[in-house]
Amino acid sequence: MIQPQTYLNVADNSGARKLMCIRIIGASNRRYAHIGDVIVAVIKEALPNMSLEKSEVVRAVIVRTSKELKRDSGMIIRYDDNAAVVIDQEGNPKGTRIFGAIPRELRQLNFTKIVSLAPEVL
Amino acid sequence: MFVYTLPTRHRPLLRAGNPISGDHFRRKCGLSAKPRNIYFCRHHFSQIPSSQRFTLSPMAAGSNDSEDTDDMFDDLFKKYGKVVFRSNDQKSSSSEVDDDAESLSFAVALAKVASDVKAAELRVLFVKPLVYWTRFFIIATAFSRPQIDAIRSKMRDLAEAQYGRTASGDSKPNSWTLLDFGDVVVHIFLPQQRAFYNLEEFYGNATPIELPFENQRFGG
Repeated sequence: MIQPQTYLNVADNSGARKLMCIRIIGASNRRYAHIGDVIVAVIKEALPNMSLEKSEVVRAVIVRTSKELKRDSGMIIRYDDNAAVVIDQEGNPKGTRIFGAIPRELRQLNFTKIVSLAPEVL
Repeated sequence: MFVYTLPTRHRPLLRAGNPISGDHFRRKCGLSAKPRNIYFCRHHFSQIPSSQRFTLSPMAAGSNDSEDTDDMFDDLFKKYGKVVFRSNDQKSSSSEVDDDAESLSFAVALAKVASDVKAAELRVLFVKPLVYWTRFFIIATAFSRPQIDAIRSKMRDLAEAQYGRTASGDSKPNSWTLLDFGDVVVHIFLPQQRAFYNLEEFYGNATPIELPFENQRFGG
């Protein structure tokens, strides 16, 4: 349940550390974004000497949420944090590696690039 | 069933300075081709000495005594565990091998098409032991977007005409274009992106597949 003003961790090595959601892309009046949704976010915290800087506006894909993700099998996945991966306009990740476990639903949503960089797919 | 993970406790596919063999990795991640069983040994847990119980933490997988932990789990299962549930959807090992062979022929056919359109540095990697979600990766370099488009459309045509498969993935040529055929995933990079993402290093433990036509090209 990511909405504007929600802070998210960054699950890649792009250089950003914290994002704040400012808009959900894909629907005109949607309240919440979930895993696999693309958001517009502003970088609130960034590592020094990296390509991304604080207060930059970027696109990101949500890869983990504290809100449960339900599968048809009855399995429920809930992560410890809200996390996103920074992408560019073409959908390529800005970082080269992803951290932490990500769900396989991202592959069905055409984010196979993120899945192939991830160390663990649930 | 409730799967609960801590995001910081992940195991990289490849650790610098301490590479792990494919077989070892498979054992660690439980991504083996072995039948997926659920083991049950909870009632006997209290009998384990406290010194051993300490090493059962998830972080132990990344530490030096991880081999001991693997062996310890095996011993514990032999001693106390029993199979209480076996899922019905597993395939027999022979049908798995057949599927692998089919995917391999498909992957090699795709690689041949890419080579015909002058894709450079073609690599076919058998990644099934490392990730469960696909069997083969094809990594290729193209030098311009029109060339990427040519490789992409030729691969799609071949897959549809001869194998009846359709690809998901990028609909437009991109600096990293991905085609997802299910068991075969094709990555076409521009040279700069290939060096940037360095997928081959990330999947360094995957078995590379020899391509017959590549040898001919270099040989002749």
